[in-house]
Amino acid sequence: MPGRIDGQDIAIWRGASGQVHAWGDRCPHRGMRLSHGFVRGETLACIYHGWQYDADGGCDHIPAHPNLVPPKTICATTYSCAESDDVIWVALRPTDEKCPSLAGLRGVRSLTIDAAAEQVASHFGQAVNAILRLGTADNITLALQPMDADHCTAHALSDARADRTDVSRWLEHQRRVIEGQPA
Amino acid sequence: MTPEVANHWYPVGMCSGIHGAQATQLLGQSITLGKTGGQFWVRDAGGKALPVIERFGHLWTSPGQPNRDLFTIPEAETPGRRLVDCGSVRVKCSPLRAVENFLDIAHFPFVHTDILGAEPHTEVERYDVDIREEVDEVWATKVKFFQPQAAKSAEGGITTEYMYRVPAPTCAVLYKTCPPRPGEWDVITLFVQPLTEELCEVWPWMALYDDDTPMADLVSFQQMIFMQDRSILENQIPRKLPLDPGMEVPTQADLTSIAYRRWLKRTGYTYGAQVVAA
Ligand code: FES
Ligand SMILES: [Fe+2]
Repeated sequence: MPGRIDGQDIAIWRGASGQVHAWGDRCPHRGMRLSHGFVRGETLACIYHGWQYDADGGCDHIPAHPNLVPPKTICATTYSCAESDDVIWVALRPTDEKCPSLAGLRGVRSLTIDAAAEQVASHFGQAVNAILRLGTADNITLALQPMDADHCTAHALSDARADRTDVSRWLEHQRRVIEGQPA
Repeated sequence: MTPEVANHWYPVGMCSGIHGAQATQLLGQSITLGKTGGQFWVRDAGGKALPVIERFGHLWTSPGQPNRDLFTIPEAETPGRRLVDCGSVRVKCSPLRAVENFLDIAHFPFVHTDILGAEPHTEVERYDVDIREEVDEVWATKVKFFQPQAAKSAEGGITTEYMYRVPAPTCAVLYKTCPPRPGEWDVITLFVQPLTEELCEVWPWMALYDDDTPMADLVSFQQMIFMQDRSILENQIPRKLPLDPGMEVPTQADLTSIAYRRWLKRTGYTYGAQVVAA
């Protein structure tokens, strides 16, 4: 599936073993978006000419030349990617940091908002941060994905016993309020 | 607009579809075109009359001074062919990307699955490509590919032979083995009208030996193929065609595309092209 972080287009995919990967959304061959590709086992194949990329991003098969071993130099751009507590985390730059723990919470809904991540954080009276803990009764927590200057996606989590529909409505309401505010 | 871009003929409409006056765009400029008293005309935004040619069922014009006639396709004039106007498809991509995709066979098994290609028949054998200096055209010959259903008139899989010809920067002609008439070629063309550098109107046209298939089926077959191509063309990054090597990685199967890009660069045709690697 496609994603966007700080203006970069990302292809996020899950191999058959369950492992998730985040790559630049561009096939090195002719620039086709890799997020339109298809997964075969632990490889991602580009939908245009079927070039296959292994879990490390290296091209390991070119269908037009089935007997050729592709040169090592052909590879997709890869980013660090991890999955924890219902959330997929991506780092555009190499990092040693662990992704934040959201243990005990359950993912409810992801909603894209027409506002910068900073604006969403300040709406909730917080400094911009990957995680906004809102201290509500249901422990609603937002993992914020900055997409570009005018968009972000809020991934909402809450206590497992919270009513999903309530949390989801609450999030939609917040979005209306935020989008109604002058930036 | 540089003369290298302006001095070409461009398709701007299907003759059968032009009645009164209508507005469109060419190379980022507004133009109007129409038919009065049986005569086609095209005017630029300032009202100046532009030259017109009626050929291949389409109306052609030029904002500059073309130094030669619009190309011809002698093969399409042999008797017994059906000429098929396929209408147009608007695509959000560079006109050059649209042409390059038309010249590419390696995508058939993945984009036109079970129609123009199918796994495991994905191999592209070596073919011949040359830039013919005398006519200033790009040609690819001896192109062979396995196809499950090569055309509306084809039944079962066959290895189809093709020739590709690029007679103008935004036009391409495909000659394809013709199932009912061995030894003859079906002609399928792609005429691209550059609206802007990243938006184009694509006019496919065909001259086929096929007396049986209803016209509507021929058109819808071609339209379906082109819709599949559009889903690719609108999702390539960058939208413009990179002319400098380095940004994209070609292989031997892409020889036609390599020659096409080289030819564009050499002739200074940069409309819809990304010249400096970003
Ligand atoms: S663009 Fe991805 S395989 Fe050709
Ligand atoms: Fe195609």
